[in-house]
Amino acid sequence: MAQPSFFVKHRASLIALLLLVLLPFVVGLFDGESPLAVWKNESGNSKFAQGLAIEIFILALYALSYDLIFGITGLLSFGHSMFFAVGAYLTGIAIKNFSLPLAATLGLVFLAAIVQALLFGIVLPRVKGITFALVTLGLGSVFHIIVMSTELGKYTGADVGLQGVVVPAFISPANERLRFYFLALTVLILVYLLYQRFVTSPTGRVCVAIRENENRALMLGYNTFYFKLAALTLSSMTAALAGFLHALYQPIVSPNVASMGFTVTALLIILIGGVSTLQGAFVGAIVYRLLDFGLRRYIGESASFINGAIYVAFVLFIPFGIVGTWRMRSFQMKQGWERFLKMFGRN
Amino acid sequence: MNSFLRKNLVLIGTLVVIAALFAAAAQGMDKQDFVITLLRGLAVGSITFLVASGFSLIFGLLDVLNLAHGTLFMIGAYIGWTVFVRPDTFVDILTPLALILSGFALADVYPALTTRTRLGSSMKRILPWMLIVVSLLLFGYILPKYPIAIWDVGTYAQSPVTFAFMTSQGTRLPVAPIAFSEISSALAWVGLLLASVLAALGLSLFGNDVGQTRSVNWKNFIVFAVLLLIAISGSIFNDPFTNFLLGLSSNWLFVFSVLIAVLSGAGLGALMESALIRPLYSRPIYQLMLTLGLSAIGIEMVRAIWGRPEFVMPKPVFFNGTGDGCPATSFADWWTHNCSTILLWDGRVRVYNEIFIPLVGLFVLISIWLLLQRTRLGMVIRAGVQDREMVEALGINVRRVFTMVFALGVGLAALGGVLAAPSSGLSNVMGESLFLNALIALAIGGLTNYPGAALGSVLVGLIQQFIIKYGQIGIAIPFTDMVFKPSPPLVPASTVLLMVIILLILPNGLLGKKE
Repeated sequence: MAQPSFFVKHRASLIALLLLVLLPFVVGLFDGESPLAVWKNESGNSKFAQGLAIEIFILALYALSYDLIFGITGLLSFGHSMFFAVGAYLTGIAIKNFSLPLAATLGLVFLAAIVQALLFGIVLPRVKGITFALVTLGLGSVFHIIVMSTELGKYTGADVGLQGVVVPAFISPANERLRFYFLALTVLILVYLLYQRFVTSPTGRVCVAIRENENRALMLGYNTFYFKLAALTLSSMTAALAGFLHALYQPIVSPNVASMGFTVTALLIILIGGVSTLQGAFVGAIVYRLLDFGLRRYIGESASFINGAIYVAFVLFIPFGIVGTWRMRSFQMKQGWERFLKMFGRN
Repeated sequence: MNSFLRKNLVLIGTLVVIAALFAAAAQGMDKQDFVITLLRGLAVGSITFLVASGFSLIFGLLDVLNLAHGTLFMIGAYIGWTVFVRPDTFVDILTPLALILSGFALADVYPALTTRTRLGSSMKRILPWMLIVVSLLLFGYILPKYPIAIWDVGTYAQSPVTFAFMTSQGTRLPVAPIAFSEISSALAWVGLLLASVLAALGLSLFGNDVGQTRSVNWKNFIVFAVLLLIAISGSIFNDPFTNFLLGLSSNWLFVFSVLIAVLSGAGLGALMESALIRPLYSRPIYQLMLTLGLSAIGIEMVRAIWGRPEFVMPKPVFFNGTGDGCPATSFADWWTHNCSTILLWDGRVRVYNEIFIPLVGLFVLISIWLLLQRTRLGMVIRAGVQDREMVEALGINVRRVFTMVFALGVGLAALGGVLAAPSSGLSNVMGESLFLNALIALAIGGLTNYPGAALGSVLVGLIQQFIIKYGQIGIAIPFTDMVFKPSPPLVPASTVLLMVIILLILPNGLLGKKE
């Protein structure tokens, strides 16, 4: 049997990609803006939708990195927000206080990400399971406290948040938002492809083996520490990249991104989307952000009540997340669709 | 002895280092400062212990990380406050609550009834949903119209803050009792009972296998009858009961509100375990998300019912005396005057905050220890922590023990909440910071170890209080004239750092078992 061609095999992903590329223009058309106006970044609904989409991309990138260590490698970390916050704060401080160029900042962010992955790596072989979660929670809260402390307020802005970062004009989110939109989209897609490759590579398979049964992986002769460290480093770099984009996009980097609540956000996103599915991070980020946005807009104060209720409902009724359930049920759905077509006499 | 030393060398070394740190800390301050800081640390440690011990029992036996524990602590505090400040609201709520629960008390009886009826397959699928929708409609119709005398979060003169303030002044805001006006009383009661029976019946129809024989336990009917009795007497004796509670001295009212808070906490815990966590024992990660969601829901409910402002629960008269003879100079002196403060080693010590709470903590520590070591239930719990499947295989109904332990754990958290309410006040965020403390205490002491929870909590409390104290008086750095004053953010950071260091040296905590 011949292999299906590339376009047939990946048609769903390609359609999704096409939709995302066209999204700013389509939203503009709905609002009566010409694509040319959208291209010129004139303010309107399209620009607002782009902003929302950029936030979703950043969240998806961040959740993707959490999925790698939690969903694929099976390390429950409660200090993941630190990875993101280090990227965001370092970017802000490097640009604002030391006026470094963007490329140098990015390099610095990656370097810091590797260093802190190694820091977590010191802890890795000593503690397992829930104790690892607690130690990472501890490291994360220490970082949160440092960020919030008034002694470093000159750099971090203490509890107000880091502000006043001057973004280079060619990707400024205010004037060149469409460019920023495509930048974030490209980064997300490249990282996603990299992750897909990582998970299907031999290294990634060992990571999955560690999640399933670490002792067995050890017995088979894999030094699981190196594989966990590799996953952690990749994850840390991705989260720091997300933080880098966040610091460029948002006018204020709030200290909340270093709190444990932000780690929980990542956990919720991948649980909504589906753990260890990779696409789940993207779907979950869309659902999470739009839900949060919609509830806050139409219900106001008590939005997190309904948010909480929805999470509980998800846990009880859709335990494998949206993508996970879709994959499990796709065969049945295909059968149902065929039966539906047969009812109209087509074969 | 020698082998004991060798095995526990690291543990003993760590303890010696901690003791040396405390000795060094004691050198730097006056005697009175030291006593007060010690007592404050013990008080914070006791409250932390009440939350941590419940959490560790639940985690040890059920393997559930109950992230909603801090929120339940907060809910306990708010319930205790309500009973103390507004007994009339409590009496008003009693009747509908008992009616709603009574329908669910018969939950084991419905399957026995429904297995005998034969239904079509489509009917079987639709019927439970229909029942639940009907019951929800009934609840939605009756509950908003049910008269409950309650404060008003929106207006300041009737807000919880005002009520708390007036009660602490020794007077109460006059409140007119509310009568049935929009709906007749008989209709409301019968409707609530019917709605709860329908809801429980609908829920019991889910996943009901045909051909399963079920025996009906007579205890269910007794619970049902008791709840119905509470509901009826609560409605008949509403006014006398309210007046009785209002006439009580604040000491007895405080005891009563602590009791109600603990009971409702335990009930909430039992409900949570049996309804929501039980389906998830096979999927541990999802329990985490469930308890997180419940925590968010709980905080929002507290915000909706009690509002956002912070307020303090008034202390009972027993601990709140002022005037002549105060501050008391000895305990005998205090007993006659009931002063709020007492002079110990020239330091003014608040009796409720710094003596009563540690004593309660000690009492709970000993009684739970006795429960674990000397009773049959405790034996099952200890065995279950070690090997759950083995206990199950020996024919013990572990499900029921699970529910009991969850109820016990949440009840302890609620006790902690209501005890902390007069000393540290009520706020929407009181649960979060304390829960982090409790987690750190458990990690230090050993996650599933009961004495470890106590040790860790006391350590956390002491370290925090000593650092707060040194933040006021400053630490003289040796060989220089500089004085180092730890800033407030260092308080949580210090305990977190201690946790990280101890976990790196002893991955299972100070007293945790090696695996």
